Amino acid sequence: MNLDKDKLGELYGKVAIGNQTSLGIMGRNRDISVGEIFMIYSDRDGHERVFFFRVLGLENYLRQVDDMARIAGTLLTEGDAYLSGIDRNMLLSLAGRMLGYAEKDEKDEWTFKSPRRLPDHLASVYRPVPGTSDDFVREMLACQTDGEVHIGDLQVGEATLDVPVKIPIMYLPMHVGIFGSTGAGKSNLMMVLIKSIIDTNLDSIRNPNADKPRLSAFCIDPHDEFAKGVDKYGIQSIVKDMSSTTRTDVIGDFYYLTTHKSATTRDIRAYTREIRILYSEIQPRDLYSIREYTSEMSSFIDAQYHANGEDWIDSILNMDEDSSPVPLGTLRAVKRRLSFLERSPIFVDSGTSILDDIFYAMETGRILVVNTSLMSDTEQFLLTTVVTRTLSDMRRALKSSGNLGDFETQGQKRLPQGFFNRVKQKARTFYGKDGVADTSEVRDPRTLPVIQVTVEEAPSILNPVLMRGQSVFKDISRQGRKFNIGLLVVSQQVSVLDNVILSQMNTEINLRLGNEREIKACIDNASVNINGFENEFRVMSRGEAIVTASYRELPLPARIPLFDTIYEKDRHKYKDNKTTKEEEHIL
Amino acid sequence: MLDKILTEKFRRRLKMVFTDIQNQQDRRDEQEFAKDEVRIKERLLSTFTPYSADIILEDDYRIAAIDGSGTDSLMTLDDIRIHLLSTSTIVVDTNTQSENLFSPIDRETLESELGDQPQIDTHWHSGVRGDAREKLAETLANIYPLKDIPSLILPFFTDFTQGKIASFSDFTDTEYEKHVPRLSDMETLISREQLLTNPTVHEEIRKVSEYAAARRVLTSDICPKYLLIDGALSVFMHFVRRYPSMPSGFMLRDLCALARQKNVVLCAVSKNHTIPFAHRIAGMAREVFGETAKWFCHLPCKDDPEGGLHIYEDRTYIPPMLAVPYLYSFSRDNRPSRIDFDRIWWLQNIFVPADPRATRSNEKALFAELEFMSRDARWYGYPVPLALAHVSCKLSYEDLRLAKQVCEDVRTEMGLDRRKAQDLRADYDL
Repeated sequence: MNLDKDKLGELYGKVAIGNQTSLGIMGRNRDISVGEIFMIYSDRDGHERVFFFRVLGLENYLRQVDDMARIAGTLLTEGDAYLSGIDRNMLLSLAGRMLGYAEKDEKDEWTFKSPRRLPDHLASVYRPVPGTSDDFVREMLACQTDGEVHIGDLQVGEATLDVPVKIPIMYLPMHVGIFGSTGAGKSNLMMVLIKSIIDTNLDSIRNPNADKPRLSAFCIDPHDEFAKGVDKYGIQSIVKDMSSTTRTDVIGDFYYLTTHKSATTRDIRAYTREIRILYSEIQPRDLYSIREYTSEMSSFIDAQYHANGEDWIDSILNMDEDSSPVPLGTLRAVKRRLSFLERSPIFVDSGTSILDDIFYAMETGRILVVNTSLMSDTEQFLLTTVVTRTLSDMRRALKSSGNLGDFETQGQKRLPQGFFNRVKQKARTFYGKDGVADTSEVRDPRTLPVIQVTVEEAPSILNPVLMRGQSVFKDISRQGRKFNIGLLVVSQQVSVLDNVILSQMNTEINLRLGNEREIKACIDNASVNINGFENEFRVMSRGEAIVTASYRELPLPARIPLFDTIYEKDRHKYKDNKTTKEEEHIL
Repeated sequence: MLDKILTEKFRRRLKMVFTDIQNQQDRRDEQEFAKDEVRIKERLLSTFTPYSADIILEDDYRIAAIDGSGTDSLMTLDDIRIHLLSTSTIVVDTNTQSENLFSPIDRETLESELGDQPQIDTHWHSGVRGDAREKLAETLANIYPLKDIPSLILPFFTDFTQGKIASFSDFTDTEYEKHVPRLSDMETLISREQLLTNPTVHEEIRKVSEYAAARRVLTSDICPKYLLIDGALSVFMHFVRRYPSMPSGFMLRDLCALARQKNVVLCAVSKNHTIPFAHRIAGMAREVFGETAKWFCHLPCKDDPEGGLHIYEDRTYIPPMLAVPYLYSFSRDNRPSRIDFDRIWWLQNIFVPADPRATRSNEKALFAELEFMSRDARWYGYPVPLALAHVSCKLSYEDLRLAKQVCEDVRTEMGLDRRKAQDLRADYDL
């Protein structure tokens, strides 16, 4: 192998000092920024490798000058001073982290390894140049950047290369964290993710023989901006661009869930459903997952659930204080805690539940944008919990079954009767391997669409106090991968999240963070070692991210593109292929 | 040793030394300086108008500078010491028109004109009687580009006798006639053979290496306006024979003559000026011209109008024979330095007989140019080409350590005994 080094980019400098983790590079006096990635070509002992180096610190270096402060002082005090021929002596000393190296394996394919070797003495350092280095970097880093869900492009300093950074669908059930302070670009990232999920599903539909997986997402939209968009375009723009066939296949009848349909704009209203969850679909542990209950309260609730089944909420809310089986204080406290349900427009005693449609949507690879802007925090958390628990219980029932007959038995045991009876027939069509008969073998949940559930303002429900109890998220975080259900944890803070969820999280998209404590927590929690990246977190701009994943050796700096930009670039692909203009033949 | 140095007794001893110096030397100098004070202040010291920082010269010009470095003990092989010398030439261009002031010309052009930079030379001699002189002569002849000895020696005699001796035949009937046989080859030009210690030999080779580089500049197409060398333009004379005691003296005069011929201003800059009472002259300059003034002070010799200064009456080589020294300072933060010019050039280009104002005006123009080339922030007040040459030739401790290692490797490669290149004291951990 003899690499064409010109493809690496511009020859920038030489490796000066360092070890296998951190290096010092002496380079030309160019406009370098912290965070830039350089490539180092090494040919030690006949092994050609390309090392990747990330700049974490910069220092001006004047060759032949030991005391820069004195020179600066002289230039200031002696107004006529100059620096003769200094240009060639003005260098930049770069300190940074070795990210790892790419080398070809025996099959002549690029592999990427953690930093366990050192580049050759005075090895040449190349600066990637957009437009020149893209193809080669993409090829070398394929194993580190490939996947289905596009989240951004590889950032090399302030510029980006045309190297898409993607997350493989198979790792989504191992949970994804999105961490960033206000204004770091979380909403845009979510919209980019939703678009990418739509694109993935579209690709799967258009290539039915390719056996490409589908992906479902239950996306909480706390500011009601995903559908309409933050700027010019939103998810509705994509939906609008689709032909009715494509729309039916990808989006279905609806994608937008809200508390009040009438308050929705006309174009979105056609794809809107109102969120209604029946009391009967709520289980005690849903409540335990979102708020702390004393042992007396939970014993009382559990007893009521045991005695009254799915009517447990009504039974408690209507319980006469005189006939209370528990001290009055406990009854009143529980009633107080459940009272929000009585005021809630989305949790209702009777009517038509949306949970069935959510289940169908999630089992058929669709996205749901859930406008929670008009909900209280508690309502939002309970909705997320009920949906997550329902979906996971359905898949758990499936996982525990050999055939659809077993599945029905399991489902009856685990899920609210009303809900299960309504969905079971359709569930059979999703879960049956060869038909809907009781004897039909069930599918492995891992062959079903991956379901990604957003947990917004995650610290409120994924905190150590709630996670210690009977939180449904504790189970999902540990076992979600078995059922192909993953959490998309969105949070401004990392430090307050529970260790169980953090340790189970395999992909982190780290955006700009608010303070030193969060930066430290983020670095500690990252799935790959990003110690030393503190400075970089401090200078990150909106939309910039460091993507770390346990299945990748390389922490990937990525720039999240603006939704509007990628939408404009891709909007043509949402039309049907046959709508392309027919060629005119002139005889 | 440290326990002695840190004692009060040691401090008392030092106090005695300084008091002694004050009582004898300083008092005598003080008295002599008093006689020169008015003359220095009123007629020898001067300031000048520096070029503005954004000046654009009508004709930009080049300046060449040479400096050397070395060691007399690259390796010790019993009674043999191997000398290593590194000599560097730098050429800068004023470049005012392209606003890239005093940028060095590129290395390729420089090396195509002058050969590898820095130039590396080696030398060795043993303790065998006469070997030092013989080997030194061989090395000098090898290094210096002018191989014809008569051509080498004549410029000295021409300058020294003010043109009376311009060819070999002119030696007839002069005091030099009897020495003519000694003036025929490099070895016999070394008349201080009794003093050829390793440091003396090293010093001579180093000087000649620098002069050789200077000669290459003068004979090249570089055509600088100034050629700067490090040190002084001193020629050490044989007191009896009245000609230079070492070949380097002849070579220096050869350079001076060649520089005049090529219209190049040859000057030698020395930080270690050895001018007595220089600090008092500097103080006087500050007093007369102000703290921030850039100034120079002519140090006249006995042949100049009003004669030499009393202060260096008994000091040999100040001013150096056939040279004109000036004390100068271009930076308030540094001690004054000294610059020497070829006296013959000076008489032709700076000095105007019976017109001290015109002479001063020429001096001011000269120093304005010298100051302009001494404004690099890294070495403010010191000519930047010389500073660059110094940086380029400098043999650092690390360079030397590696060179010594290479020495050992080469010996191994040649199948020779791999003797340590370290100081012998290292064997005993001394």
